[in-house]
Amino acid sequence: MRSNTLRPYLAAVRSTLTAALCVENFSSQVAERHNNPEVEARLSSLEVVVNPLTISRNKHEKVLIEPSVNSIRVSIKIKQADEIERILCHKFTRFMMIRAENFIILRRKPIILVDFIIQFMEEVDKEISEMKLSLNTRARTVAESYLLQFT
Amino acid sequence: MILLDYHNVVIEETLTQPIVNVIPTALDMIVVDFDSVSYHISTSESTSVIKFSISMQCYKELVQWGAQDMLQREYGPYCVSNTEEGYDFTLEFNLQNLPEDKEQREGLVKKLALIKRNLLAQPFERAFEQQAKFEEEKQTNPVSDLMQIHYRDQEAIYIQAQLDRVTVIFSTLFKEETDRLFGKVFLQEFVDARRRPNLQNAPQVLYSSKEPPLEIRHLPELKNANKNEDIGYVTFGDVREKTISQIQLFRDYLHYHIKCSKAYMHSRMRARVQAFLKVLNRAKPELPNVEKKTITLVILYI
Repeated sequence: MRSNTLRPYLAAVRSTLTAALCVENFSSQVAERHNNPEVEARLSSLEVVVNPLTISRNKHEKVLIEPSVNSIRVSIKIKQADEIERILCHKFTRFMMIRAENFIILRRKPIILVDFIIQFMEEVDKEISEMKLSLNTRARTVAESYLLQFT
Repeated sequence: MILLDYHNVVIEETLTQPIVNVIPTALDMIVVDFDSVSYHISTSESTSVIKFSISMQCYKELVQWGAQDMLQREYGPYCVSNTEEGYDFTLEFNLQNLPEDKEQREGLVKKLALIKRNLLAQPFERAFEQQAKFEEEKQTNPVSDLMQIHYRDQEAIYIQAQLDRVTVIFSTLFKEETDRLFGKVFLQEFVDARRRPNLQNAPQVLYSSKEPPLEIRHLPELKNANKNEDIGYVTFGDVREKTISQIQLFRDYLHYHIKCSKAYMHSRMRARVQAFLKVLNRAKPELPNVEKKTITLVILYI
């Protein structure tokens, strides 16, 4: 069931990103010889920023895509069903944030970049649920071997 | 390694050379143990006298429950009255006055490595004695004192003897949100694991995170503390004597495994980020393959 609903969701994200990633070089309209990502800088008039778009799978999982003429910004909401998933997700995203400098997204081949984002979305979920599972398994082993001493 | 040892390995290794093999060695080291216990092992100038001091946060409380008697009984000939400054108790060993038999000396080192366990076992043993007495006299409504041991800042063990059981309650403080959540998962498993058929004989485990258990709810220090979510209470009922050593280390065991799982998560995340980067780097555009030429000057004479 899960993978069935995941596939159309990812397909929608993929085709939206493919369409949104038709960016081109665009010099700043405000400052001479500047070239800023318009979606971040918002210096020039609004005609270069296109309407943002949200793709939701459910209320916990969605993607916000904000395209503009020379850049796009993708925000992903990762599913966090309970406290453990929330804390694991927080840890994981923080972990990547610290290493943000290694994740050079700028000036990459668009099609492969889309692949990366899709794979990222798939694996983040998988990773978090695997971590949760391993935590539970460990807890069980730990509790059992401790209590076994008493018998 | 899933289970923790309850004797101190460092003490055992350090003292084997001078005490078991009677080879005088110059020593001056501070050894630490669980629950902020520390030992100071030092030798005099002649290296023939070893001083062994222990500092323990709850030493004063343990004295109330008969720790002094135990020390006299177990380590009697080595006790000295002039305690080293900053420590709670000092033992002194003169290498010339050690037992002749090598096995006895080995036993002595073993006993020293267990000193923390022995000290902390006092209130437990007292509780077992009381419980045995209750059972013998068939008291229907026994009154026993609740023994409190504040073994760390803001964390304590409570022990009480009842008619058919001895109840041990641990209060533990989680410094971090992650630790608290992980701790909750672990403790829940402790409660669940006991339901398994092969663990039916294990002591009963109860766990609560906000409300202190009934036995200790009347204590003034807990009344004042507003319901702090960071503190968990674990109650062990029906504890048997042979389990003293393991039950003492419960807190350390729990926290040790919480830290281990955090470390494991960290290494997993590190590996996963590496994998993500590999995928991302596939999207690198190839560098335009332009042959670079240096300027050459060609002069033609016609």
